[in-house]
Amino acid sequence: MSAVSAYLARRAAQKERVRILYRRALKETLNWAVHRHLFYPDADDLRKRFDVNKDVEDINLIDRLIADGEAAHNKWRHPDPYIVPWAPGGSKFTRNPTPPSGIEIIYDYGQEAEEAL
Amino acid sequence: MQSLRNTILSYMRIGVSARESFLVREMYALNILNRPLCTTTGTGTSSDQIMARVIGLVKGFDRIDATKVTETADFQKDLSLDSLDRVELVMAIEQEFSVEIPEEKADKLKCCADVTEYIISEADQKIVEDS
Repeated sequence: MSAVSAYLARRAAQKERVRILYRRALKETLNWAVHRHLFYPDADDLRKRFDVNKDVEDINLIDRLIADGEAAHNKWRHPDPYIVPWAPGGSKFTRNPTPPSGIEIIYDYGQEAEEAL
Repeated sequence: MQSLRNTILSYMRIGVSARESFLVREMYALNILNRPLCTTTGTGTSSDQIMARVIGLVKGFDRIDATKVTETADFQKDLSLDSLDRVELVMAIEQEFSVEIPEEKADKLKCCADVTEYIISEADQKIVEDS
């Protein structure tokens, strides 16, 4: 019984690893692609490379394949990956920080009152 | 003192004010036009609009049968996506809304309603950080 549960746990861990590897690899593909239209065929190729080993049942072979995939991903890591601008490390991160409390902004020197007229 | 200044200013600016306010209104109209084109989720976007965008995006996904897409259709069960398809979908959502969805959160997004909720919560966080 414990052998079965251990097997299932190992399979679940492998699924998790494959998912994370695919996600990282997909992002890596986008980093390497200069334009969106170059990214799409690359992404399809990546998907095909994952789908080739879709039906592998041997658990040790799966482990080896995942390790190979992770090694290949590490080898092709982009030196300057794309980061969403306002995420940590992005070009807009902490740009325009909140002014300290107690500072009041006077708008437009009375022009907004004129507009209301 | 302020009111006196306002009065004086309003008299001095009377010549240009009409045109200026017209320009301002024009710019405002342009802003309204721009808003749906902008990828960020501003304060003006309601949850309905975000939901519509999410559903439109999911319908555009090529492995999904567009007629089956509803707000609560489960990606895995109802739309028959495998785990790698879901990764692709999450990536498309990240692209659409310019957000970064961490891996453990991405795992929990099961249907369009979850995605909308997550995006709104993310936008709220951003607003709290900004203000």
